[in-house]
Amino acid sequence: MKKDDQTDKRLSRRNFLKTAGSAAAVAGLAAGGIGISSTNAQAVGDALPKKWDETYDVVIVGSGFAGLAAAIEAKNAGAKDVVVLDKMPVHGGNSIINGGDFCAPGTKLQKENGVEDSPELMLKDMLKAGSYLNHPELARMVAYHAKEAIEWTESYLGARYTKLNYQGGHSVKRANGTINSSGSEVVNKQLAKARELGVVIQLRTKLVKFLSNNNGRIVGIEVRKNYKFPDESTGKTAFIKAKRAVVLSSGGFSRDLKLRQIEDPRLDERFESTNHPGATGEALLAACTANAMDVQMDWIQLGPWTSPDEKGFGDVPLFCEPLVGYGLMVNPQTGKRFFKETGNRKERADAIILVGHPVIIMGDSYAVNKQVVPGRLKGAMDNGAIKKFDTLEDIAGNYNIPLDVFLKEVSRWNSFVEKKQDDDFGCMIFKDARPTVVPPFYVARLWPKVHHTMGGLVIDKNAQVMGFDLKPVKGLFAAGEITGGVHGAVRLGGVAMADCIVFGRIAGTNAAKEKPWG
Amino acid sequence: MKNKNTLTLILFVSLILFLLAAFGSGLYAQPKTKSGVDKSKTVEAKAGDCAACHKDTKKLPDSHVATKDMPYDGCVVCHIPGEGNAGTLRGKLPGSHIHALKDVKCAQCHGKVKKPEPVQMSQCVTCHAPDNVAKKTANVKPNNPHDSPHYGKSADCNLCHHQHAKSEDYCAQCHSYKFIVP
Ligand SMILES: Cc1cc2nc3c(=O)[nH]c(=O)nc-3n(C[C@H](O)[C@H](O)[C@H](O)COP(=O)(O)OP(=O)(O)OC[C@H]3O[C@@H](n4cnc5c(N)ncnc54)[C@H](O)[C@@H]3O)c2cc1C
Repeated sequence: MKKDDQTDKRLSRRNFLKTAGSAAAVAGLAAGGIGISSTNAQAVGDALPKKWDETYDVVIVGSGFAGLAAAIEAKNAGAKDVVVLDKMPVHGGNSIINGGDFCAPGTKLQKENGVEDSPELMLKDMLKAGSYLNHPELARMVAYHAKEAIEWTESYLGARYTKLNYQGGHSVKRANGTINSSGSEVVNKQLAKARELGVVIQLRTKLVKFLSNNNGRIVGIEVRKNYKFPDESTGKTAFIKAKRAVVLSSGGFSRDLKLRQIEDPRLDERFESTNHPGATGEALLAACTANAMDVQMDWIQLGPWTSPDEKGFGDVPLFCEPLVGYGLMVNPQTGKRFFKETGNRKERADAIILVGHPVIIMGDSYAVNKQVVPGRLKGAMDNGAIKKFDTLEDIAGNYNIPLDVFLKEVSRWNSFVEKKQDDDFGCMIFKDARPTVVPPFYVARLWPKVHHTMGGLVIDKNAQVMGFDLKPVKGLFAAGEITGGVHGAVRLGGVAMADCIVFGRIAGTNAAKEKPWG
Repeated sequence: MKNKNTLTLILFVSLILFLLAAFGSGLYAQPKTKSGVDKSKTVEAKAGDCAACHKDTKKLPDSHVATKDMPYDGCVVCHIPGEGNAGTLRGKLPGSHIHALKDVKCAQCHGKVKKPEPVQMSQCVTCHAPDNVAKKTANVKPNNPHDSPHYGKSADCNLCHHQHAKSEDYCAQCHSYKFIVP
């Protein structure tokens, strides 16, 4: 009796699904030829539009490092029509506001500075920082192709790198800084090259949905044109056919409060973000709806070098990072150091969150003049995020630091600098570092902001997106911050540029080589 | 039981009446924009003649001098650019009004068409060459808004300077420069 009942239920459930599926299909037809995705839509494919509004060989979503690298290489690999779409009114996403540090081993700048480095060492650093959660094959691609990638931006695009910087968690100085300390040096040259090659750039065009055929192959996308971020009521629906492939390079989701709290519930509105406002996750979720698989989504990085006294990324990170290994970080409440200044981002951000309130980083005139770009210093001093003091006593007074402990702590630090060894926290102290004694002193407060989302779509080393059936999602490639696995638990500073350019180029080349579906 | 039915009926009737009132009037209302502007008038109207388009909606303080026949030169007699008190017109009037006050007609940017489309930056630069604009604002503090490390001199005018809506400081997404945007 019971058994029969169950059979009945199963049967009726199956019937129900069938009906629901066809109802959705009918509704879809009525609504202009596009199916509403239902539970079994994936197997069936989407109802495709009767007429495509535009057709390209390769459609690229996102106009940052990854997307533009893909566009250029798609053209160079023979794709005829290539379009780059971006939902924002400007190109460049996070790439155009980035700090311009490109990590690569064995570069010209490293040689000029006498730094010994190798891809193997870079890989080792990436894996260690990533808690060995990195997909080794992907991390290896980045470490071993980073040099070739930076040289491509120099010799082929004309980007200039002028300063070798240190980024926390690396075992050597390997961050090649652009001439203007901004990713714009690279991204604008990418844009110029893409245009020169005939790539079409469409801004204010938002990816809404992927369209797949009966085999689950991605054949095009639904977009909203003339979209005015962030107003979801704007824009006109259009269908874009991708004859060969779509490259998804729409960046991370640090500004997506909802999605990031699903992945890491601590990251509520107490934490600002360094990212551009369009760093939200809808394109990633649209890809998942089309069977693309996600990985390590809850590894979300906070920048430990941001200031609560200025907006966004601000100027303070470019004061703080060049100073670590030269100056010291202090908890104002105790007057003492609390963590290794040259630790990786996660260690440092966690340490500050544990302290529970903003901490300070300080350097003397010798260190600051030597390490910090004057424009940055001035910018942050003008907006009040960096303050200048004539004496250590003034610093203590201003930040309510117990004076005696603080003075002792500074001289203790200075003794470590003298012998180039930090007995307390194992901070790396650079050869040319000197004791913090020369006034005036410069100080900034630090409180973490959401900076990078390590997780994202699963790709293989060909930038091919993998599906929930563990098979390739045909016609879909991805590169840049939207992918997951390269960095594991922690993305080291300067490695995103390497990641984006290496995989962006691969994605573009392979997208162009994909056999057209129709 | 009976009482309850009556109550439902009353509620139902009042709902219908309410809906009629709310949407019925809308059907017969003049087509107006958010600022209460009668669009059909804007093309011929004199720039200083507020009431020609805004009808009864007061746009200027009562103490303001009459502007009906005033050209832009008249405005800047009091609104001296860069000076205190009387301040400046910058950031107060939509760009289209400044254009109109300077005798730039709608068709000069939109073309002589029935259904005007949004204007592209390529149109703006025919008068406002990026190099000149950047030169003009070279001393704006703390940074030149028309020559940024991100976009150089090529940022789209319309990121900040809206003509038919309040202009905005696009940089303010990430920076506290507090630019006043005309
Ligand atoms: C302030 C800052 C400083 C940084 N500094 C460094 C550094 O010095 N070195 C380093 O290696 N890394 C740095 N990073 C990280 C690095 O810049 C980013 O990881 C990288 O730029 C990501 O590039 P991308 O091409 O993947 O995405 P992005 O450059 O973010 O581009 C993605 C684009 O896709 C668009 N998009 C998103 N969704 C949609 C949609 N639905 N439809 C259409 N378009 C969409 C976005 O608008 C955006 O323009 C920094 C990041 C920030 C925020």
